[in-house]
Amino acid sequence: MRRPSALVVALAAALFVALPVAFAGSSADPGVSPTTILIGGTSPLTGPAASYATVARGAQAYFESINAKGGVAQRKIDYRIVDDAYNPALTVQAVRRLVEQDKVFAVFNTLGTEANLSIREYLNLSKVPQLFVASGATTWGRDAAQYPWTIGFQPSYAAEGFVYGQYLAKTQKKAKVGVLFQNDDYGKDLLASLKSGLGRSGSKVIAEEPYEVTSPDVGSQIGKLKASGANVLAIFATPTFAIQAFVFANRLGWRPLVINNAVSATSNTMSLASEGGKNKTIEGTISTTPLKDPLDPRWKKDPGMKQYRAILAQYAKGANANDANHLYGMAVAYETVGLLKRLGANPTRAGLMARARSITSAANPFLLPGVSVKTGKGDNFPIQQGQLQRWTKGRWVPFGGLWTSKRN
Amino acid sequence: MTPRRTRIIGFVAFAAFVAFVAVLPAFISDFKARDYSYVGIYLIALLGLNILTGYTGQISLGHGAFMAIGGYTTAILMAGNEQFGGPISGGMKDVWTLPIAGLVAGLVGLAFGLPALRLSGLYLALATFAIAVAMPSTVKRFEEFTGGGSGIQLFGTPELTGSISNVEIFGWSMTPNDWMYYLAWSIALVAFAAAWVILRGRTGRAFRAVRDSETAAVSSGVSLARYKTLAFGISAAYAGVAGGLFAIASAFVNPDAFPVALSIYLLVGIVVGGLGGLSGLVFGAIFIAFLPLWAQGQDLGSLLPGAIIEETQKPGGPAIVYGIVLILLMFVIPNGVSGLFRRIGQLISSRRYSRAR
Repeated sequence: MRRPSALVVALAAALFVALPVAFAGSSADPGVSPTTILIGGTSPLTGPAASYATVARGAQAYFESINAKGGVAQRKIDYRIVDDAYNPALTVQAVRRLVEQDKVFAVFNTLGTEANLSIREYLNLSKVPQLFVASGATTWGRDAAQYPWTIGFQPSYAAEGFVYGQYLAKTQKKAKVGVLFQNDDYGKDLLASLKSGLGRSGSKVIAEEPYEVTSPDVGSQIGKLKASGANVLAIFATPTFAIQAFVFANRLGWRPLVINNAVSATSNTMSLASEGGKNKTIEGTISTTPLKDPLDPRWKKDPGMKQYRAILAQYAKGANANDANHLYGMAVAYETVGLLKRLGANPTRAGLMARARSITSAANPFLLPGVSVKTGKGDNFPIQQGQLQRWTKGRWVPFGGLWTSKRN
Repeated sequence: MTPRRTRIIGFVAFAAFVAFVAVLPAFISDFKARDYSYVGIYLIALLGLNILTGYTGQISLGHGAFMAIGGYTTAILMAGNEQFGGPISGGMKDVWTLPIAGLVAGLVGLAFGLPALRLSGLYLALATFAIAVAMPSTVKRFEEFTGGGSGIQLFGTPELTGSISNVEIFGWSMTPNDWMYYLAWSIALVAFAAAWVILRGRTGRAFRAVRDSETAAVSSGVSLARYKTLAFGISAAYAGVAGGLFAIASAFVNPDAFPVALSIYLLVGIVVGGLGGLSGLVFGAIFIAFLPLWAQGQDLGSLLPGAIIEETQKPGGPAIVYGIVLILLMFVIPNGVSGLFRRIGQLISSRRYSRAR
């Protein structure tokens, strides 16, 4: 038995005391000072969903571009990003640190369905805005009455899955759909709505294979889905797993019609999955997005996309502009700046939420023309539109016009 | 130093540490108290793991799973699982669930100790790793019992002491964060003392005998079966209590809150703290609780050079810093913090010895 020596205690004491003690702000509503407004959120900088870190980075770059022009109402926007490794227990710790120690004005753009579920009670009871949740779970909009301090942003998974279902019902005679889905609320939301979109058509889901976020790969799931005889593969997975799904399906020589969910459908992810053009399964993949596609030549001279590239080049050096997650980040940051502008000189948390529930933003420069961001009485889903697109020869080609979800 | 003298020094040091822990919240911000409560929680898990790995020589890569068992026991006893269609109505106050969390995890540990008897070294490590890997899927599989992937929300429930309002105890009012700190640390200190008592006597000697040479232990009359299962049971019970506290501190449980990485971090914690030592584990716990944060250039990490902090803000950055720090630490203190203390102690006593001559 080794005894605790006096030295241990001395060292422990030194370490504890040496840790910097936080300074508390002293303004009326936390996080607002005469010169800055502090917001914060978690993002998976490491772990199984680290490819989403670029969402926060895009938002950060946009805020910095606004700050360079003087900020909003004389205040610079300080956006603090904390890593949670896509682990909801770490999200809880990080968000409590942001709220109680850093005293943020609002929790913003926190990524992940489970991550946001884990902090929703806490933020609502503490009356801290949970602004523009980076997850498409339907609950953010549906349960707004119960959780008034929480609001989502992107089209809901329920709307997205329904669109895929309808597409298959209309275009395929007897599609046999095999579904790969993440075994959590996000994956199940998409799966359930896909089924409701298929409705009573001749097409139906014949195999469902879940995977865990913590699992190394989805090889066996793809093998089973192929063996099930499915001729449509629906990928409801985050980017790392989606790429694996394409690669494994190709290696097995499986060529189904592929549906890939929006959260893994950036051109960047698709390019990786195409294995430099060698992947034959990926051609003709269907997905949807509310964002402009950085690779689409239509937007070469588009002012919004020019602005996007300029901001990224200046404030996120080394960032890959083809990764549309940056674009998502900018779109959400753009709306946040809009809210702060409307809040004016004396921002309050309650005021922020009131404005977040009454958005009428028709022309977000980073979203497709015609996609509006709006909320109002009885409408708590900021974006409810998207564009179906088909992966053709190394890039997305849109088809069929914008869809608008009436059901959520 | 004579054993008697070192024991007295040990007692004094422990008493000083207790006093230090007791007064610390007065000197730090309210929120820091919550941060440090996690150090206490990890310390409990590390104490348990070190009894098994450091003292008995059985490697476990699956202690995160025992924490999950404890965490879910606590959460289900508090919030119940009737809302998912399960049989338990819940309603138990958070503190009272902890002994049960320890007991349930301990029993599972005992049960796991039996097959583990047949495995040694790497094979045992793999078997324990398997339970860590299987845990999230198992939790999701029994959705009506565990709430599945969405987990169980505890924040704001009447069973959770001090969700947002102050906690009154013995006519003393404290913030929820201070309450969490004192709850975690009082249990951690008791657990520390208990580990010391277990390890200093006959049982501890038997554990070490098993670690050093199974053949020699058996020939000296130590029952391998008995002590290996016992070590597993005790160790898992510690992890269970830590898991229960973890659930209370997070006010939320979910399968992804107990990932495989947690089991690995715990192992890293005892290696940094020092295998086969107790005092260094405090540093192992600090390492687990804070290094991920420091590696992002936050808190103490903000003292890092600006160029490094910029790197940590990039995707994957924190993981790289974490890895580098770990490698450096293993170069500098290969035997962990406990080993470092031992070295210093030896240096001091040998100097004294040579001077006396």
